[in-house]
Amino acid sequence: MSSPMKLERNALQPGAKTVEAAVSVAAAAPVRRKTVFRMLLSDVGSCVALALVVLAILCATFAPWLAPTDPFGNDLANTLKPPGEMGLLGTDGQGRSMITRLLFGLRTSLLMGLASVAFGCTIGGVIGFAAAYYPKASGVLMRFMDILLSFPAILFGLAIAAIFGPGLPAVIIALTIATVPLMARVVRGSALVVLQQGYIEAARSLGLSDLRIIIRYVLPNCLSAIFVFVTLRFGQVILLGAALSFLGLGAQPPTAELGAMAADGRNFLFFAPHVSVLPSLVIFAVVLAFNVLGDSLRDALDPKLRK
Amino acid sequence: MLKLSTLLLAGAAAATFAAVPAVAQQKAPLSILRIIDADNYDPIRSTATAAAEVMYMLADTLVTVDFDMKTIKPGLAESWTISPDGMTYTFKLRKDVKFCDGRPMTVDDVVYSLKRWIDPASKSPVSFRAGPVKDIRVDGDSTLIYELKEPYSDLMFQLALSFASVVDKNTVEKLGPNFGVQGFNGTGPYCWSKWTPRQELVLKKNPHYSWGPPIYKDPKPQIDEIVWKVIPESNTLMAAIQAKQADVTYYMPYIALDTMQRIPGMTVQRQENYIYDVFMGFKVDKPVAKDKVIRQAANMATNKEAIAKAIFFGKGQTLPSLLNPAVLDYDKSSADKMPKYDPAGAAKLLDEAGWKPGADGIREKDGQKATFTVYGIRNDSNPRISEAMQADLRKVGIDMKIQLWDATVAWGKLATQEFDAFLMSYPYVTATEAMSLYFRSQQVPTPNRMNWKDPKTDELLKSAATATDADKRKQALAEVQTQLTEANVWVPLVSQPLWVVATDRVEGARAHGLYGAGLYKGLDLKLKR
Repeated sequence: MSSPMKLERNALQPGAKTVEAAVSVAAAAPVRRKTVFRMLLSDVGSCVALALVVLAILCATFAPWLAPTDPFGNDLANTLKPPGEMGLLGTDGQGRSMITRLLFGLRTSLLMGLASVAFGCTIGGVIGFAAAYYPKASGVLMRFMDILLSFPAILFGLAIAAIFGPGLPAVIIALTIATVPLMARVVRGSALVVLQQGYIEAARSLGLSDLRIIIRYVLPNCLSAIFVFVTLRFGQVILLGAALSFLGLGAQPPTAELGAMAADGRNFLFFAPHVSVLPSLVIFAVVLAFNVLGDSLRDALDPKLRK
Repeated sequence: MLKLSTLLLAGAAAATFAAVPAVAQQKAPLSILRIIDADNYDPIRSTATAAAEVMYMLADTLVTVDFDMKTIKPGLAESWTISPDGMTYTFKLRKDVKFCDGRPMTVDDVVYSLKRWIDPASKSPVSFRAGPVKDIRVDGDSTLIYELKEPYSDLMFQLALSFASVVDKNTVEKLGPNFGVQGFNGTGPYCWSKWTPRQELVLKKNPHYSWGPPIYKDPKPQIDEIVWKVIPESNTLMAAIQAKQADVTYYMPYIALDTMQRIPGMTVQRQENYIYDVFMGFKVDKPVAKDKVIRQAANMATNKEAIAKAIFFGKGQTLPSLLNPAVLDYDKSSADKMPKYDPAGAAKLLDEAGWKPGADGIREKDGQKATFTVYGIRNDSNPRISEAMQADLRKVGIDMKIQLWDATVAWGKLATQEFDAFLMSYPYVTATEAMSLYFRSQQVPTPNRMNWKDPKTDELLKSAATATDADKRKQALAEVQTQLTEANVWVPLVSQPLWVVATDRVEGARAHGLYGAGLYKGLDLKLKR
C-alpha cells in the first residue's frame, strides 16, 4: 500500500498545489468522520434511530439464541393466543410463539435488505462511476437506467416470481434490480462533481489508470452521498421486501418474514389482531429508524448544513 | 371537521328519510355476498363454482338433487324411465315451462341445449360429463330420449349439474360468444338483468315461474330482485354482513361463524352433506414420493383432526378416507384401512424401511433425502393447511417444501411434472365421478396429477361407470377405494363445510351446496322487510 503512494508523491513534485489538495482530502477524512459521529449523537432523534438500528441488528444476528422456542414447531392446540398467554406476545395461526417468529422474521427481513442493497449498490455503483467517467458510454448506460427506473419494484417482483417461482431469491433479485438505477444516478451525480476537481486532472496527467483514479480519488469523495443513499435505501428495501412477501412472493413457509407474517394474520384481523399488528409494528419501527438515520447522516455530512 | 361530519350525518339522515316511502313500497333487493366472480355465465363454457351458483337460479336442469346429495328429484322432467340395459333414458317433460322472455319451452329446446353441451364445436371443457352419448332425440311433444353407447351410471347426477342447463337457442345465436356475458335467457326462477363483472350481477324474478323442484316448500320465487355482490376480502365481507349491509353469504370466514351465531336474529346454518374435499396427492413416480413408506408415514404423521380444528376453527371435518362420507358409494371398510394418526408409528415405519435421520434431522436413505415439494393454489386455507402439515412431517424427519402459486399461474404449474405432491380442493357429486376424474390412466397428466396408471383401477372404474346395477357399482368402487387407500396415494385432509349466514331480514335460507352452490335455486327465500 505504501510504496505506490510514495511513488505518486514523488511524481507529483512539480504540481505542489494538487498534492496539497489530495493530501488534505485524505487527511480530512478521519476528522470529518469524528465530527459526523458527534453530530449524530447530539440529536435525540438520530440517537434513538441509531439505537433501534443497532438493536434490530443484534436481535436479528442472535435470533437463534434469543428465541424462546423452535421457530418451526407448531402447536395446533394453542393457536391465536392473545399476548400474555403462551409467551409474552401470544401465538400465531399455527400456535408458534410470536416472539420467536418476530425475531426470525426480523432476521430474514434484514438479510433480504442487506443482500439486495449490497448487490444493487455494487452493480449500480459500477455503472454510475462508468457513466460519469466515460461520457461516451454515459448516454447508453443512463438511458438503460431510466428504463429500469420506469418499472415499479412490485412489478419486477411479480414477473420474477412468475418465472422462477416465489421465494427469497426472487425478492432479492427484484429489489436489486430496483436499486441499481437509483444507485447509478446518485453515484454518477456526485462523481461528475468530483471529476471537475483539479486533483483528478492532476492524477490523470500523472498517467494513473482509470480504475486507480476512480478507486483512490473519486470513490472516497463520493462516499458521503453513497452512505446516505445506502442507509435510506435500506429502509425502503425492507418495506418493499415486506410488501412483496405480503403478496406471497417472498419467503416461503416455514421461513418467518415480517411481511409474510402480517399477511398471515390478515385472515384473523378482527379476532387476533396481534398476529398482523406486531410484525407490522416491527417493520414500521425498523424502516423509520433507517429513514431517520439516513436523514441525520445527510445533515451531518452536508457541509452547508453544518453549524 | 366536526361541522363537516355533522353535515354529512344530517345529509345521510335526510337521504334515509327520503328513501323510506320507496322502501315501504318495494323491498330492497336481496344481496348475496361472494368473494369471486365467474369469467362468464354460459353453462357449458365455465367450470367455475362462481358460475354454477348463479346458473341454478338462471336456468333449470332435467333433474335436481335433494338436500341429502344422494336423491335425484324431478326438475324440468316430471318423470323418467331407464331401460334395463342402462343405455336408454326416457324423460317426460313438464308442459308449463316458460323462458324468461315468456316463450314456452319445448322439448326441442332441451335437445338443443344438451347437444350444444356435447357438440365438439362448442369446445366445452365439461362435455365429458354427458357420458358416451349415442343420440339425444325428441319423441312426441314432451318426451326426450337420451341414448348411450354404453351404460353410464353417473348420468342422472351429471344431468342435475348446471352444465346441463336448458338455454334459449334464439338468445344463444343472437349473442354468440357474448351469451352469458351480455345477456342470458333461461327457465330459472330468476332472470338475468345486468352484469358488472367483478362487482355485481343483478337478477329479477321470473314472473312465469311455478315449476320449482319438490325439494322446496314453495315452487315459486318470493323475491323480486337478487344482487350477487363480489367482495374479495373476507374481513370486509364479514363486516358487511355484521353491519347488515348485505343479507346472505356462504363465504363467511370460518373464524367469524361463532361471532355471527351470537348476533341476535342472525341465521347460521350448516349443510351436513356438503361435498368439497381437501387432499394432498403424491406423484407416485417421483424419487421420494414413489416410496410407499414415505406416503404412508405422511398419512400417519399428519394430525388431520388438529388441522380440521385449528385451520377451520372447529368447523372443519376430518376426512376419514379418500372420499367424503356423505357421498354416494362411499366405502366405510376401506376407510378403516386408512392409517390412523400415529407419529411414533410413522417414525418406526421409516426407521424399518431404512430412512435414517441425518445430521439436520431430515431422514436419508441411500444418499437420498426424505424431501419433497408440494404445489398448490394460494387461497385462504392452503397456506395454513400446508404449513401445519409441514410442521407435522418435520417431526418425523420428512422435509416438505411448500410452493403455492397465485390462481392465475397455479393451474398451469399444476399441469407440469415439476412437483412431487399437490394440494387440492374440489366439489363432486358421486364416487364414480371423483375416482374416474382423478385415477383413470387416461387422465394423466391432469387431473390425474398422481401419474397413477394401473390397469386394475382402470378396469374397476370402467365397470363402475357402466354398471347398470347399483350394488355392482358400489362393489367396484369399494375395491378401488381399498386399493388406493392401501397405496396411500392421497393424504385425505378435511372436508370443507358449507355454512350459510343470513341476517334477520331473510327467511327460509337453507344450505344446499350442489357443486358449491350454497343456495341452489334460491327458492323458499323470503324478505321480511
